[in-house]
Amino acid sequence: MMDPLTTRPLALLAEVTYRCPLQCPYCSNPLELGRYRKELDTSTWVRVFREAAELGVVQLHLSGGEPLVRRDIMELVQEASRAGLYTNMSTGATVVDDRKLEQLREAGLDHLQVSLLDTEPESNDRLAGAASFDRKRQAVLGAKRLGFPVTLNVVLHRQNLDRIAEVIAIAQEWKVNRLELAHTQYTGWAFRNRAALMPTRKQLERAHEVVERARAAGTGGVDVLHVLPDYYFDQYPKACLQGWGMVSMSVAPDGFVLPCQTAREIPGLEFPNVSEYSLEQIWTGAPVFKRFRGTDWMPEPCRSCDKKEVDFGGCRCQAFLMTGDVNATDPVCQLSPQHHLVDEALKEAEQDAPPLHFRVMSS
Amino acid sequence: MTQKFPITYPVLATGTRYRWDKVRNQHQLVFPEGMMVLNEPGRAIVKLCDGRSTDDLIAALKETYPGSEPSDDVFEFLDQLAERGLIHDGSVDD
Ligand code: SF4
Ligand code: SF4
Repeated sequence: MMDPLTTRPLALLAEVTYRCPLQCPYCSNPLELGRYRKELDTSTWVRVFREAAELGVVQLHLSGGEPLVRRDIMELVQEASRAGLYTNMSTGATVVDDRKLEQLREAGLDHLQVSLLDTEPESNDRLAGAASFDRKRQAVLGAKRLGFPVTLNVVLHRQNLDRIAEVIAIAQEWKVNRLELAHTQYTGWAFRNRAALMPTRKQLERAHEVVERARAAGTGGVDVLHVLPDYYFDQYPKACLQGWGMVSMSVAPDGFVLPCQTAREIPGLEFPNVSEYSLEQIWTGAPVFKRFRGTDWMPEPCRSCDKKEVDFGGCRCQAFLMTGDVNATDPVCQLSPQHHLVDEALKEAEQDAPPLHFRVMSS
Repeated sequence: MTQKFPITYPVLATGTRYRWDKVRNQHQLVFPEGMMVLNEPGRAIVKLCDGRSTDDLIAALKETYPGSEPSDDVFEFLDQLAERGLIHDGSVDD
């Protein structure tokens, strides 16, 4: 097994703000957004990027919220790139024009990820809670013109899954480099909306077929990534984060450092803040990073399972949200004593969907 | 050997770049969502993916590693890079 003290993180997710002009009902930001309005200032972020590079981070993911609503975003990109980090940005692309894209390019941004909610402009705009389809399209085309590698990110769920062929077609039409077909992860707002977002098994099987057929026919230079959701087909959970505190860390807008961006939803965990500690101190010493690192914390059936170093007992956030016990085996696992919770959710997904709750900043 | 992805003028794809990792003392090829650790010859090959022909690339490698007969290994490595979309043919517009 890897030794966490000599293993260094490869990726840092910097959620530079929770502010966002969109209201995606599957947003992974915390439900109680209003509680976290504080944001780190420019110089603190710059220090964090430098510390990250020194700690061994290779990939930086600037995300949010919408990272482009920060006024200092160009400076942040520039300093991250100067620190030697491979700098990625995930954006909803509604507050960007050609001039801003050019500035990002000059600042050294390496890779742009643009989210699209649906290929039907009307459905995209309804799901996003704002007119945004045209802007996203403009941004993708503009970024391609400037020579950015562009990934189109489409979060899949019940309400757009049947248009997966159109999603692949639009990715080809817009000539993006990569298409990430990500099934909704049921944490944050998505957990609240789970019944409205979970696809039926039929939908999923059909979508899988469409992707396989498209792949066989060739996707015209677009690299298509598609991972099926673990609820439906897997006997064992996914290796969430490749292990807690093993390869990545995440800094929230207010400077709290989390092993995983959604870990804030787990009550009782105490997170260190970059204003008090360096990233290295946090990575090597913070109790919350050690909490589920390795296999010592595991209960049965994980403890005596030969897969414990393959999937690390699954996702802690999912285990907590579904069972109420953060130490539990991920219920996606067939060996979990609470696997029936997944079966029940799957049964519910075959029923009519309730209405969506859109992400809001209040509360 | 035959190349699965015949590329005559290899160039690194946009967004793919070489990086020296001073923390791990490693040559790396970094790209969106990923990273590949390179050994010395791998690094030499990647640095030569600047749009020159594979023939010129191999000739240059022979200069760097006198006495070596690079060929199959090089094509195999280039194939690997092409399969992952990390290089493309500089003579073809994409
Ligand atoms: S998921 Fe949607 S609402 Fe949440 S931060 Fe991203 S664009 Fe904004
Ligand atoms: S019992 Fe635990 S370790 Fe074994 S497969 Fe299930 S989740 Fe993974």
